[in-house]
Amino acid sequence: MPTKSYTDVSDQQIVLFAQAGREDAYRELIRRYERPVYSLIYRMVRDNETAEDLAQETFIKVLNHIDRYRPEFKFSSWLFKIANNITIDHLRRRQLDTISIEGSPDAVTGESMRATAVTVKSGGESPLEELESRELGAAIEAAIARLRPEYRACIILRHVEDYSYDEIAEIVKLPLGTVKTYIHRARQELREHLEGLK
Amino acid sequence: MIEHDFPEDFTPIAAELQRLPYLSPSRGFADRVISRIDRLHPAAALAPVATGRHLELQQGGHSPLRRRSPGVVRVAATAVAGVALVTVAAFMFIGIDILTAILAAGASQYALVIAAVGTEAGALVLGAEAIGYLQAGAIEAVALYLTLAVGLLGSYAGIRTAASIAKRKAA
Repeated sequence: MPTKSYTDVSDQQIVLFAQAGREDAYRELIRRYERPVYSLIYRMVRDNETAEDLAQETFIKVLNHIDRYRPEFKFSSWLFKIANNITIDHLRRRQLDTISIEGSPDAVTGESMRATAVTVKSGGESPLEELESRELGAAIEAAIARLRPEYRACIILRHVEDYSYDEIAEIVKLPLGTVKTYIHRARQELREHLEGLK
Repeated sequence: MIEHDFPEDFTPIAAELQRLPYLSPSRGFADRVISRIDRLHPAAALAPVATGRHLELQQGGHSPLRRRSPGVVRVAATAVAGVALVTVAAFMFIGIDILTAILAAGASQYALVIAAVGTEAGALVLGAEAIGYLQAGAIEAVALYLTLAVGLLGSYAGIRTAASIAKRKAA
């Protein structure tokens, strides 16, 4: 079967191709969402290996049950919902409520501690701006890591992924009021953790 | 961009949250996922019709079911039919005593018992006269064997047709 270009094709249409058994459609869905899904999971578990395992589990679960997808919902919402469920289940099993910026509690060796420590991107600003940006970025990563996992998921979905409150409620399977409360508290805690930085 | 629904002092943090980079999984992530997608199993990928059936089986919300490949079923059925025809031919052209000899070679102490039981069972189903023909190797026996073989193949074809009609109706 020839490979199709999916550049301007919507998620819903790609799902239809995937449901028909086209491998290139599966690959396109992975290509579009591997980074957002992995980032969300990593920011919740703070361990490369664990995040990769959970992201892999998420995609395998979603793509093996692709025929259950209902096109009236966004594909990404469904995907994040599965990712969130899998991650929360993992965290409950591990009871990782607080995570250190120096590295994940999953990490047992010095190397894995370094690998799981917070790192931030370089934004292409002037050296001073870059330093400030790195400091703020690292501080924000650290502040997110100190939030409860439920708050972490909500604040990331709201401010990183741009989801509405209704969509977040659907993804995390919580009442709308609870989601608003979580996000409000998460913002308060982030402000407290980041006080004095900027 | 989401609507501004937070206090002013949260604005720099919100802006920084939006600038958080996406992180990437390790190389080969997609390949590892794809290798564990059941419906992209090579056998299913090569046979579009079989893939379609596979998808139907998952509609009930259960875990993916592994179907036995239609090719394997076809080969097994052909092998069974082939063995049956060879046996029939052995009966027709070589004679019943060869079968008895084969049985005797495998289990000599039971050969006579098996032959006797077989004869009795055959007489019960086909009648003593037909068994007599068979044992004598007469021309009527050949006709009887041919009738049996045609009946066997006819039944097999009938069952397959009924199954395919039922499958089409179900689809």
